[in-house]
Parts: sequence; C-alpha cells; structure tokens
Amino acid sequence: MSLIKHRNLFEYALGCLGRYKVRSVVVFTVFTIAVALLSSVLFLQNGLEREAEISVELSPDITASYLKGGRILLLPESFIDEFRSIDGVVEVTPRVWGYVGIGTTIYTAMGLGLSEANIPIGIAGCIGEGRFLTNEDDGTQNAVVGQLLAKQLGLEVGDYMILISESIESNRYTIVGIFSDESGIYTSDLIVMSMGAARELFKIPEGYVTDAAIYVDPEVPVDDVAAELSSVPNLRTLTHDTLNRGYKMAYASRGGFITTIWGILLATVALICFSQATIVGRESRFEVGLLKTSGFTTFDVIEIRLIESVVLGISAASFGIIIGIIYDVYFKAEMFSKAMLGWAFFPAGFAVPIYISFATVVGIFAVTVLPLLFATIVPAWLNAITDPDIAMRRAAA
Amino acid sequence: MIETQRLTKIYGAGTHRQVDAVRDLDLKMEDGTFVALQGPSGCGKTTVLSMIGLILTPTSGKVIIDGKDVTAFSDYWKAIYRRENMGFIFQHINLMPGYNAIENVVIPLLCRDKRVTSYKERAKELFNKLGILDRMNYRVEMLSGGEQQRVAIVRALVSDPRIILADEPTVFVDAETNRIILDMLHELRDEGKTVIVATHDVKIAKATDVIYTMEKGTLGTKGSS
Repeated sequence: MSLIKHRNLFEYALGCLGRYKVRSVVVFTVFTIAVALLSSVLFLQNGLEREAEISVELSPDITASYLKGGRILLLPESFIDEFRSIDGVVEVTPRVWGYVGIGTTIYTAMGLGLSEANIPIGIAGCIGEGRFLTNEDDGTQNAVVGQLLAKQLGLEVGDYMILISESIESNRYTIVGIFSDESGIYTSDLIVMSMGAARELFKIPEGYVTDAAIYVDPEVPVDDVAAELSSVPNLRTLTHDTLNRGYKMAYASRGGFITTIWGILLATVALICFSQATIVGRESRFEVGLLKTSGFTTFDVIEIRLIESVVLGISAASFGIIIGIIYDVYFKAEMFSKAMLGWAFFPAGFAVPIYISFATVVGIFAVTVLPLLFATIVPAWLNAITDPDIAMRRAAA
Repeated sequence: MIETQRLTKIYGAGTHRQVDAVRDLDLKMEDGTFVALQGPSGCGKTTVLSMIGLILTPTSGKVIIDGKDVTAFSDYWKAIYRRENMGFIFQHINLMPGYNAIENVVIPLLCRDKRVTSYKERAKELFNKLGILDRMNYRVEMLSGGEQQRVAIVRALVSDPRIILADEPTVFVDAETNRIILDMLHELRDEGKTVIVATHDVKIAKATDVIYTMEKGTLGTKGSS
C-alpha cells in the first residue's frame, strides 16, 4: 500500500494549521495554559504524595505520646517497659525532640535512647555520608544531620555544630553522619543525637521523654498492637495508616483546589469544542464540500482533521507540560504550593518536590488531546457526510 | 453513456418552503458529446449538474453512467467515482481563499496516491493555454473574476477527467477568453470526453452538440445545434 496519499494529506493538514492561523493560535495558547496549570498541580501533588509515602515508610510502626486534657505532655519513661511487654512489640525507642533555631531557620532535633540497643530501622538506613548513631554514641555529643541542613550550614562529616539550648547555653555537636536524599523531607532538616544530648538541649527532666517509637513484629498486625496500646490511659497512638491520612490531608489532594483546576480545564475544553464547531464552521464546511467534490472520501476528510488535532493537541500538551515543570522547579509553583500544603510547610530552603510519573503524563495527554480529537472529528464527520453541493451552498449562504 | 431516469430533487420536502427544483427528468447523453442544459436562472440546471456529478443526492430517480446506477453507490464509492472520472467547473468558481492559483489546482489531487508534482506539467500547460501562466503563484484573492474562473477550469481539467461538468463556465470572462474556453471544451469533446455545460446563454448553448432546454425543473425540448 502506497503512503503517498497519507503524506499528501499530512502536508495539507499542516498547511491548514497555518491557514486557520487564529484558530490554531487560540487553541494552542488556551490548551498550553490549561495543561501547564494542570501539570504543575499534578506533578506537585504527586511529589508531595511521594514525600508523604517516604515519611510514613521511615516512621516507626506506632508512635505513642502522652495526652492529658487533650494536650500533649511529656511521656513518663515508666510507660516504655509497659509497651515492651505487649505481645508483638519488638522494640521501643524513647525519643526526645523539639525545634532549634540556627539564625532565622528552624530545625528539628531528635534524641534517641541509644543505650536501649534500639536503633530505629527506618532512618538509620538513609545515611548518605558517614554513619548513623550507635550504642557507643550514648552520652556523647555526636549527631547525624539532614542533607538540607548540612548544605545550608556548609557542614561535612567531622565538622562541629553549635546549638543554643533553652537556657541560652551553647552546645557543641560533632557531625558523624549526613542523611541521604532518599529520605526526602523527613530528614532534610533533622538533627539526630543521643537522648542525653537532647535532654540537655531541651532541658527535659530525667524520667520523661517526648514520645516513644514502637516497632512491631512483621507477623503481627500493627492495628492489634495499637488497639492494645489504646487501653493505656491518656495515650495517643499514631500508626502508618493514621500518619498516611494526616500527611495526605496536609500535602496531597486538596480536594476543592484540584477540582477547581479540573473544572477550569474542562471549561476550556468545552470552549474549544464550541469554537471548533462554530467559529470555523462556515469556512470548514465549504472546504470539506470542495474537497469531497474533488474525490476526497469522508475518511480522507476525517484523516486531515485528525492530523490537525493530533499535531495541535500533542504539541500544546507537551509545551504545557514543559511549562508546568519549569514553573514547579524554577518558580517553586508559587501560585499553588501554599494552597496545596494547607497547614503543612516545607523546611526553609527545601526544593518543592515534584514527581513526574508516566501515568500522570499519559493522563494529562488523555484528558486534553482526546476531547480535542472528539471535538474536531464530530463536526468534520457531520460535514463530510453532507452532500458536497449542500455543504458548499450552506457555507455560501 | 450518461442517462437520468425520472430524476427528481425537492428541497425542503413536506415543509411550507418546499421547492421542486427538478422533477422526473429523463436525459440521455452519449460519450464524447458536448451537451448544454440551457434555461433561465432557477430552472434547475445546476441541480441536475450536481446530481449527475454525484455531489447532490436526488430525492428520487437515478443517474446511470455506463450502465451502472451510480446514485446507488455508497458515499465512499461516489467520492472515488468523482475522483477517477469527473471534473467540476462551478458557477461560483469556488476557489479556496488563502492559497495561490497553483495550490488551488493541486489541492484536489492530494487524495490520490501520486505526488502532486507529477501533475505540474499538465497544470502549466493548461495555465498557459488559458493565458494565466504568469498568475500561477498569485493568491486567488488577487486575481480578477475572469482569471479566477480560468484557475477553476485548470483545476477541473488537470486530472484529465472523462466527464466535465461546467456550470456557467464563461460567465465572468471576456469575449476572447470565452472563445478560448469554448475551443478547449470542444477539444475535450474531440478527445472523446463528455462535456455537460449548464448555461443561460443561448450563444454558448448553440456551440454545443446537444441542447436540453429546461423550464421550471422539467425538460422543455431537446435539440441540436
């Protein structure tokens, strides 16, 4: 089968894009803007969801904290042994944590009970340089820091870092490790140190911790252990499920916002459908009538319109996606990031996370190009099945 | 041979705006003849031409070409039939704005499995014959009515069709071009092609082999010049 005819039609279709210049430019611009908005939001949403997943993965199976009168208070250390006695609990790491300021930036500092031989599995495996803390670091001023913090302060393994305690005493820490990029937002601004060092920094009295990280035997359902923990008075437990829900509420599907963007997109597509069907209707009807008189079949006419729409739709969608990525990466999605985050926040200097998945890109193309194809083919088909004489007379009328 | 049997076209059938454009028309045109459909404006000449050219579906009746009822063809096969056999010259010229003269000639050829460059020599020859070779690359909006008409004639003839349907082909041209066009149509007849012209002009009709006179959508008389 010769492809010459299809090549002819392809060239003609490209020519039509130039011929209907105003329509082409309007469709291209509107589609590009709509796709850029949509892709910016979706890539940001995917990035935030991914960060949330990483954070949940790195979190303990259950985090237990102490509540009194609805307020979080320090957890008496006496609870730790009680947690250990629950069936299915393999380890409990008491933690002391809080926020410290260096300059104008706030970081999260966390002390771990290293003497308990209970190194947390999650973040301990996310070391980029140096090492994680061991039992031998208990009672020392050694610390592991997040990559963002290390970059901001120009720290390397072996360097010292000064943190000011609540009583305005300076405390010097030796950096023994830096977290890797893989742990994302979870460790980016984190300073991990021994329990003693953290107590000293935050002036937490002996016998109390901030919360407890509880690790559960993989064979035992976490919910069963959490249910048993719930029977302990004044205890609040957070499992991966509850964290997931919380993170997603904070980071991801900001329902109304996303719906608005989708609404704008659909309205755009509807407008384009309308313009395709009416604005160029008369000229297009005449053209189709004339082409059919010359021996073009309905399929030939549809092929021309299909090529036009595919070229226009795919180029506009691709350009829109590129603009969306540029907007997210270089302009930090200024317009959307605050709305998307809600009450959550990024550590200062943390790059806006974006994640471009194949499925999202295909989805964007599907919701933009397919309606355009449909909007083009239906009027073209309706024109093409009309007698050429009638089509031309109507166009001339 | 081209034959019509009880060919009828009613626009807006069954409505208060019903127009009986053509009714029960029986025509017979031998191959290689130059035929005129002559009559006043609104008598249905263009409608008959469009139905013979398969670009307008009759309300009833048949168009039979070489023994085949072409009105029964599907839309697809009608298009193919037009592509392979017919050339149209429209009363309203119907060139595509935004394109130059040569583009208007080659666009109808794009649906063929041939590069349009293969028609270039034939197109040039026709442009030259009609005295508009120097206008080949002009946008059609820049051409006079007569020049546009001649571009439309080149477009109709470039693919060398065996049936030429011309609706008032000389309406916009001067006397000299009128003569050139008529000579050209005679040449085509001499080559064995069937030429059907719809015209209100008695002089043009007299230049043909057979004249069908139409009146209010029906056949008046048949004569020969």
